Amino acid sequence: MSEAQQPLAVQKVQEQYPDAILDVSDARGELTITVRKDVIYELMAFLKNDSELAYNFLADVTAVDYSLMEDVLMKYDYARFMVIYHLLSTEKKERLRVKVPVHEKALSIPSMTSIWKVANWLERETYDMFGITFEEHPDLRRILMPDDYEGHPLRKDYPLRGRGERETFNFEQQNA
Amino acid sequence: MGLESQLGDNIFTTTIDKFVNWGRKNSLWPMPFGTACCAIEMMATLASKFDLSRFGAEAIRFSPRQSDLLIVSGRISIKMMPVLKKIYDQMPDPKWVISMGACASTGGVFDTYTLVQGVDGFIPVDIYIPGCPPRPEDLIDAVIQIQRIVEQESVSPKRRRGAIAS
Amino acid sequence: MHKDPDRVPGEPMTLNFGPQHPATHGTLRIVVELDGETVLKATPHLGYLHTGFEKLGEHQDYNQFIVVTDRMNYLSPLSNNFGYVLAVEKLLDIQVPKRCEYIRVILAELSRIADHMVWLGMGALDLGAFTVMLYGFEEREKLYSIFEKTTGARLTTSYTRVGGLMRDIYDGFEEDVRRFLNGFPKTLKEVHTLLTRNRIWMDRTKGVGVVSAEDAIDYGFTGPCLRASGVDWDLRKAEPYSSYEAFNFDVPIGANGDVYDRYLVRMEEMIQSGRIVRQALDNLPDGPINVDDYKISLPTKEDAYGNIEGLIHHFKIVMDGHGVQPPVGEVYCATEAPNGELGFYIVSDGSGKAYRIRIRPPSFIHFQAVPHMIEGGMVSDIVAVLGSLNIIAGELDR
Ligand code: SF4
Repeated sequence: MSEAQQPLAVQKVQEQYPDAILDVSDARGELTITVRKDVIYELMAFLKNDSELAYNFLADVTAVDYSLMEDVLMKYDYARFMVIYHLLSTEKKERLRVKVPVHEKALSIPSMTSIWKVANWLERETYDMFGITFEEHPDLRRILMPDDYEGHPLRKDYPLRGRGERETFNFEQQNA
Repeated sequence: MGLESQLGDNIFTTTIDKFVNWGRKNSLWPMPFGTACCAIEMMATLASKFDLSRFGAEAIRFSPRQSDLLIVSGRISIKMMPVLKKIYDQMPDPKWVISMGACASTGGVFDTYTLVQGVDGFIPVDIYIPGCPPRPEDLIDAVIQIQRIVEQESVSPKRRRGAIAS
Repeated sequence: MHKDPDRVPGEPMTLNFGPQHPATHGTLRIVVELDGETVLKATPHLGYLHTGFEKLGEHQDYNQFIVVTDRMNYLSPLSNNFGYVLAVEKLLDIQVPKRCEYIRVILAELSRIADHMVWLGMGALDLGAFTVMLYGFEEREKLYSIFEKTTGARLTTSYTRVGGLMRDIYDGFEEDVRRFLNGFPKTLKEVHTLLTRNRIWMDRTKGVGVVSAEDAIDYGFTGPCLRASGVDWDLRKAEPYSSYEAFNFDVPIGANGDVYDRYLVRMEEMIQSGRIVRQALDNLPDGPINVDDYKISLPTKEDAYGNIEGLIHHFKIVMDGHGVQPPVGEVYCATEAPNGELGFYIVSDGSGKAYRIRIRPPSFIHFQAVPHMIEGGMVSDIVAVLGSLNIIAGELDR
């Protein structure tokens, strides 16, 4: 894509954060930008508050464990996880997907709770399922699995049938 | 217990048996432990078209201490199982358990890390209902089978829980 | 919080609401701290029905996963089936025939009515209106019999397929649906006379669990809950999918964002769904219901029995690892399910199984706002608020 054809969101982000964008794709009409982790908090706040973009609605936060997809791993310097935000602008009726590569060595990313309240539980779920920590999250606990559960089920190296937790779970655990 | 344990087997207790069982079986008080889709069918069974009250089992009690029939309907996760066990323990004797649907009985289509593969590993189950979800008629049938089991109960502890056959 | 200056503040009491409680409709749990009857603090706990849908999706092929979507929001399985296959079709970049789109719309709207009927019945039951529950379930039973005739199952329908439908509608479907459409507004009218101006109902729902428009967006509300707060946002209008642009319907909007408005919005939505179904029935196109591509949808029976190619295609589709194989890529597809935006995010690595399936569940997101809505209110409001949000545990915990 040449500069002139770039969608508005990409242009504006590029202006604001010149080398934050690692990749842009527009497959199937869904605009996706992959950005660096260090500016993600400011970038998301910018996407929300900029009056021309106005991505006021955070639809979803999740992650993908790319450890079995070699080409994606190679592209992003062997970052195992990718945190994925789905944004929506109710005013402009546009959607945007923001992807952030996260390395296993530095398994954390800034929390968006202070920008969108909805991020709270979505991030907790991502933490529960993938073990990615969210910095400055007000209440980062497991949400779906029991508190004493070990492992993060949606990682690719976690077996579908678990590691025997189904039979040997702690009967007395009744989190107060 | 009380008097009846002193009495032993005689015509007196067997007559009481008959009378008590007749009362019990026609006024089962279910404790619905509905968690998932099967619970919706359980509600449908209680609602107007199928109307479980025709069989005397419509007095739904959400308090385990007042009920004698536990209907486990839905998926039970490892986080839920301790709760279910606690509820079962709180129910006064004599009590019966229906495991409604494939999930409660075996885990159903969900052979995953978090689901208990059948509640019978943790609490005793009297009647299993197959189906995903079972039709309301199936649940009614199960209640009738429970009634047959109830008929064989006895107030005398010696003869309690005799041969269960349906 | 204590308005009365003479009041001696006592120890707050902690009350465990759920996970087994009649008003939780499943397995929600809220730990509430009370001062008298005022809720000081509420902490929801969830995960009691966590089933591992997303993990399971990585181990099943694309058509098998439809079965799992049924069990997610079990009040309206057809809407889930619909939303999921739309996502896969977007990934495959195929367009299903018009007739298929229309049938899907009809069934999705009917299941919206079915969903709202249970919501109405159970919500009212929790607030003490038992009759309404019987009314709601009676209408639902009528829909059940239509669904059963169409799909073969009352509840777990699994009716859609990638690239089409399991089978066409039966003869007489139209009459059955029209009979239902003529009947159910009467029930709604009766419910209106029972509840809408009822003093008790109004006292318990008006001004309870208020969410402002800004908060609703901040908390990620969608669907009837967002519209009750006065935001005009309906995916069927904003991002029309599956021929929704061809239908005329209104989107009811509330004003106050309280339980009462959510009730009114849902009541009106059922009427509007009825309108959509009528129009779809009037204009139901003829033609095939599946895409004309044997790599995606099953060949007809004549083909499968009659010639070798059909047989091979049939065999391949159902064989493990040879079925539908979308190209590498990712897709997010959102639909307007009865509860709000139901999104499926699918990452494909080009094989017959999804690399990752993520479900954006409206219930999960609505439940998050419960503390915001009940803190400072009365204990008995919890029931009203939970009822009005229509939280489905299967979708909440997945
Ligand atoms: S048996 Fe089927 S219907 Fe019942 S809870 Fe399990 S999945 Fe749902």
